[in-house]
Formats: sequence, C-alpha cells, structure tokens
Amino acid sequence: MNGPIKHILVYLDGTEESLTAAQYAICLSKATGALLSAMYIVNTRALNDLVKSHIFIESEQDEYQRDLQEDARKYLRLMEKMAQEKSVAVSVYEESGAVQGVIRDFIRNNDVDLLVSGKVSNIRSRRDELNNDTERVIRNVSCSVLVVKDEERVWEMFDQMA
Amino acid sequence: MALLDLLEEKIIKVPLESDNKTEVIREMVEVLSTAGKISNPESVIAAVLEREAMGSTGLDKGIAVPHAKTTEVNDLCVALGISNNGVDFDALDGEDSHLFFMIIAPPNQSSQHIQVLSEIAGIAKSSAFCRMLKNSENAKEVLELFLEE
Repeated sequence: MNGPIKHILVYLDGTEESLTAAQYAICLSKATGALLSAMYIVNTRALNDLVKSHIFIESEQDEYQRDLQEDARKYLRLMEKMAQEKSVAVSVYEESGAVQGVIRDFIRNNDVDLLVSGKVSNIRSRRDELNNDTERVIRNVSCSVLVVKDEERVWEMFDQMA
Repeated sequence: MALLDLLEEKIIKVPLESDNKTEVIREMVEVLSTAGKISNPESVIAAVLEREAMGSTGLDKGIAVPHAKTTEVNDLCVALGISNNGVDFDALDGEDSHLFFMIIAPPNQSSQHIQVLSEIAGIAKSSAFCRMLKNSENAKEVLELFLEE
C-alpha cells in the first residue's frame, strides 16, 4: 500500500450506477492495493421526514425501513461476492441515518482518501441538484471523489480482470 | 431517481374533472392506464384506496399524495393532477386539495419510491411553487415549471 490511494470507499444505493462504481472500486483496489470499504445507508432521515410531513404513516415507515434493510444486505452481499471473485478483500457496512452525514463521518473517522461514486443524473433543475444525495455527497465530502462513467467499459474491465 | 425522470405530459392532467376523493383516485389511475403505465387499473385503484383507508395522504396547502405499493407495476410511475375547484381529500388542515401527486411503486423499488416522495415533500413546503403549479393551465406549463424551478 505504497501508492497514492490508501483507503477507498464505495457507496452503494441499489442503482445500476452504484454497482458499476463498485466494480470499478474493486479493480482499483486490486491495482493499487488500497483498502476497500463498501457502504449502504438506510436513509432513515428521509423516512422520518415523510412521517413528519404526513405522507407516510408509521406502519409504512416500518415497512419501508425493513425493505431498505433487505436491500442493504442484498447489495452488500453482492459486493462481497464480486470482490471475492477478484480476490479482493472488502469490508462492508450497513449504516442508517442521513446519507451525506454518514458518509462524511465515515470518511473522516476511517482515513478514507478516495470516494468512488456512480455517475449522477443530468441536472435539469435546481430541485434536481438539491434533492440528489449522490450530488450532495460528491460536493461535500473532504476526500477526493472519482465519478465512474462509461459502464460498458467498466464491466468489460471487471470481466477481464483476473 | 428524480421526479423529473418520471414526469411527462401524458401523465399530467389539467384540470381534473372529479369532485370527490374516490373519483380523483380513479381519474388519475386512468391517466396512468391510458399512458400505458399500468395494465390493471382496478387493482391499482384498490391498492390506493386501501392505503387511504389507513390515513389520508391529503397534506396541508392543498396538496395530496395518494400512493401505493403494488405488484401491478414493474417500474415506479407518477401521475400529477390539478383540480381547479379543489376536492375534499380529508386533508390535515381541512381545506380542499388542488394538487395531486400519485405514486405507484413496485415492491422492489422502495429506495426510489422514498426519493420521489421526499422530493414531493419538499415541493409541498414551497407555497410559491405550489401556487404556480395550481395556476397552470395545461400539462406543458406544469412541465416547464418543474424545469425552471
């Protein structure tokens, strides 16, 4: 681990883009020897806000929280499987809270020096910019961020990597 | 996923013609059906009404967010309707509702469902934007407002 990158974090949110980012992070970890961590955050802040605004009733909050926890386990298992295929060690974390705050704290407390993120959607309105968690994370974390694009190329790179 | 990813003219109805809660839900589900988003409208109507029976999604400031999770759709879909006269939707503040955001989600897309509902919760806080939406005369104007804001 003498290279410029010591600890990579990839944030999974269940989207295709985040899985592409996960594959890229695995390749990068293998090439550089950097530690690799993967995180899925159950966005309990959003669930609480929906109850406060009366869009959700409490039983819905519980139901959706269970759904998100299942998603977290599913995607983190997938991350472990993909990393294992490429003989890369990965530490996985299922967290809950507000996405931006949890990632920011993890980066600070674990000396993460590179966040690997899936590409963000095109921003077509100011509201898009304000509501997109990935966009806010990219703008606000303290470490460098690598935004993964060109998913076909990444898949090909991942498949070809021994 | 952003609300704008889901909005298109064919799922926006201005004005809604119905004058009661059940009929508004039916009218909006029919919009989704006509747009080819759902294939079994009766089942979706039943799911939305079942959710409403647990507690009204009529918020304050004239906004209602009827929603349901059902296996009748493969992808998250949204309909937006605007009622000029307002409809009694058992809203929190007792006022009639004018803006209706209907969200129908498959069971395996909870994360995206929450993102879109959160964005609508944000819209509900903006009185000025809601007023502009309410004054829109057609679907094109509604879409333009979302793109400008």
